[in-house]
Amino acid sequence: MNQLQPSPAPANNLFEAYETGAFYDEMFEQPSVPRSHYAPLFQVIGRLDQQQYQQRRELADLAFLIQGITFTVYSDGHNTERLFPFDLVPRILTRAEWDLIERGLAQRVITLNLFLQDIYGPQRALKDRIVPRSLIFSSPQFRREMMGLKVPRGIHTHISGIDLIRDSATGEFLVLEDNVRTPSGVSYVLENRLVLMHAFPRAFSQYAVLPVDHYPVELASILRSLSPRGGADTVAVLLTPGIFNSAYFEHSFLAQQMGIELVEGRDLVVDSGIVFMKTIAGLKRVDVIYRRIDDEFLDPLAFNPDSVLGVPGLMQAYREGNVALVNAIGNGIADDKAVYAYLPELIRYYLGEDPILRNVDTYLCSKPDHLAYVLDHLEELVVKAVGESGGYGMLMGPASTAAGRHEFRRRLLANPRNYIAQPVIGLSRVPAFDETTNRFAGRHVDLRPYCLFDGEKVVIVPGGLTRVALRPGSLVVNSSQGGGSKDTWVLRGDA
Amino acid sequence: MNRYKIHHVTEFTYDGTVSESFNEVRLRPLDDDRQSCLRFRLLTRPLAPVAARTDYYGNWVHQFNVLAGHRHLRVDAESVVMVQPVELPAAGGVSLTQLDAMKDDLEDEFYEYLAPTRYVPHLEAARKLVQDAEREPAGSTLAFAQTASSLVHTRFRYEKGATHVHSSMEDSLSSGAGVCQDFAHLLLAVVRMRGLPGRYVSGYLMPRKASEGGNSMEEVIGGQASHAWMEVHVPELGWVPLDPTFGRPVGIQHVRIAYGRDYGDVTPVRGVYKGHAGQHLSVDVLVLPALNEEGHELLVETAAGPVEPPPESVPQQQQQQQ
Repeated sequence: MNQLQPSPAPANNLFEAYETGAFYDEMFEQPSVPRSHYAPLFQVIGRLDQQQYQQRRELADLAFLIQGITFTVYSDGHNTERLFPFDLVPRILTRAEWDLIERGLAQRVITLNLFLQDIYGPQRALKDRIVPRSLIFSSPQFRREMMGLKVPRGIHTHISGIDLIRDSATGEFLVLEDNVRTPSGVSYVLENRLVLMHAFPRAFSQYAVLPVDHYPVELASILRSLSPRGGADTVAVLLTPGIFNSAYFEHSFLAQQMGIELVEGRDLVVDSGIVFMKTIAGLKRVDVIYRRIDDEFLDPLAFNPDSVLGVPGLMQAYREGNVALVNAIGNGIADDKAVYAYLPELIRYYLGEDPILRNVDTYLCSKPDHLAYVLDHLEELVVKAVGESGGYGMLMGPASTAAGRHEFRRRLLANPRNYIAQPVIGLSRVPAFDETTNRFAGRHVDLRPYCLFDGEKVVIVPGGLTRVALRPGSLVVNSSQGGGSKDTWVLRGDA
Repeated sequence: MNRYKIHHVTEFTYDGTVSESFNEVRLRPLDDDRQSCLRFRLLTRPLAPVAARTDYYGNWVHQFNVLAGHRHLRVDAESVVMVQPVELPAAGGVSLTQLDAMKDDLEDEFYEYLAPTRYVPHLEAARKLVQDAEREPAGSTLAFAQTASSLVHTRFRYEKGATHVHSSMEDSLSSGAGVCQDFAHLLLAVVRMRGLPGRYVSGYLMPRKASEGGNSMEEVIGGQASHAWMEVHVPELGWVPLDPTFGRPVGIQHVRIAYGRDYGDVTPVRGVYKGHAGQHLSVDVLVLPALNEEGHELLVETAAGPVEPPPESVPQQQQQQQ
């Protein structure tokens, strides 16, 4: 037999035929040569054979299933509940990489907050023509009800989820979009870490990974600091649209982690501008609401009168300073994808600093010359609706059909203000397990760090949610579009 | 100068018990250099504390809630208001050609009063009115707006009940009829489509003294008392009021309550409540006009007819809008 011949090292099994392709591979400098900070991980994972890997994977899936970590996909009127696919190979960031990201995000969050204070206040940026007035006033996200309203401690963006991508051409992290309404996904950051520590205890122990589990404590402390009554007996609640919402798991998870009540709109009532929670012991005053309901549905009296999710009179309570809302109402004007294009300019305007993290080049279809260019280059560009998120309402040019482009051409001409376009960025890749080949293959990733702002400083849980496009070649990482997630490690020192 | 006392009563009667009723009203006449609200009192039954504020457009808003079960809700708004005569410009303002050159600046300053809104879409069907009004030989923006106002006045028929608060501009354009709200919206569309900023005005049209007579149109409007018209911003002249329903200059008979982009911004009474009951709305506006030269007071009582209850009942409902 072949006993005397060296058997092929199992170390190479699952990475056999792994290609880095034309992309920045976060793990490998070149095939089978890991970057130094990935080397210990490669040692562990590379040694596994298919069966050993599958065992770990099944354990991980079971852990998620038992905890009910699911999300709902909306499409064509069908709602399907799914496990959020989790890939076991963590994404690792060095301390130096993270430091730059952290500084860049803090700068951005502070700017977004200043922008919102300004837009709903003196509107200096409009008077100085940094941002066109029409861009603000034409946005359905501009809430006139917020004009002149002094939000508690001046904070609009308590929680921001800012999506970053790494450009394969340069290896540089770029900001893809800002999410300052009700960004979701942080529960996966916490759960992914717990599951991964159990799936790969040995690999994990070889690294000094910065912890993420203090997120609920940090958020709870911001919630308490906003109480209009002050004092230790602050009552904070998490307001959810209910069990049919795609992020309901997260709502219940965070409420439980922070030790606050999880409520629905019907559990709250406003009386003469004071918010109360209905309890079996009678009405109990509520000071702070971490709301996971969109602005439009928050108060049927002030916004959409058909909403049955919200709390009538809540806007009055907020306006009169009797309750704090997290995040503030009207933040959608700051994460509008057309306003995004002005963020670098706004950083310079408000802070007098150069942006630390760059934007992706963006064409504003509201500008006639940009629109003309976009219409001529639909096949090369990504076109996005400015108010949409979650990967809905977009055209991926290179992968589009003639019919798809025709439809977008019509939409662009009908409502140019509603669209932006960007060049397709070759997102960096990280190995992920491919179910069909039973091997690792490079898959595109992005990164959504969660930033907390307490009015003075920005606290960012190291890492964030790495979303991965599990379909071969796909650049769309949204969970609603076949994406999954990975644990993200930030190393304590420089590896 | 003229002084009026206005008593505006809104009553909701429900078929069953409703609760957690939240309401927002815009009923207090505004104050500025042309008008003073000398007194305002708002009373609700069931009794509720009322909070006052001003909104984005500077209008007064009063808000209250009734949590306990009730079958009847009444809102009494009483105001005393003094109206100064308006000096309307007879001519002037920039020419239409000059207006076109100012497009960017106007959009920058008045975007909200130029863009289409829910109740004021920029429909192709309204284009004809723009073209016809543009034939005004003087070529001035003021003449354009005045011509547009009289075109809307003459081409459309005032017909009580022709439309309701949720009617669209398509409805009134196709039927050729509407109420003051439709006339105002239509004229807003015409001036905005031509590049002139326009804003909606809600208020009251005070009946004239019986001794002065008046045409049938006025009686119909007087019967309603609640009224709507618009103002157009003419560069170099400022905001100029026009009343396409009345067809005559805006003057001391017009009492202003609120400004907005369209009706949706200035709804006099809006609210939501919980309960499965159908509802019945009635509105009365009682007007006590001028202490006239003879010192006589004239009392006119008017009532709007009942409105049909909505066909469907849902757990949370909207108050009908007047």
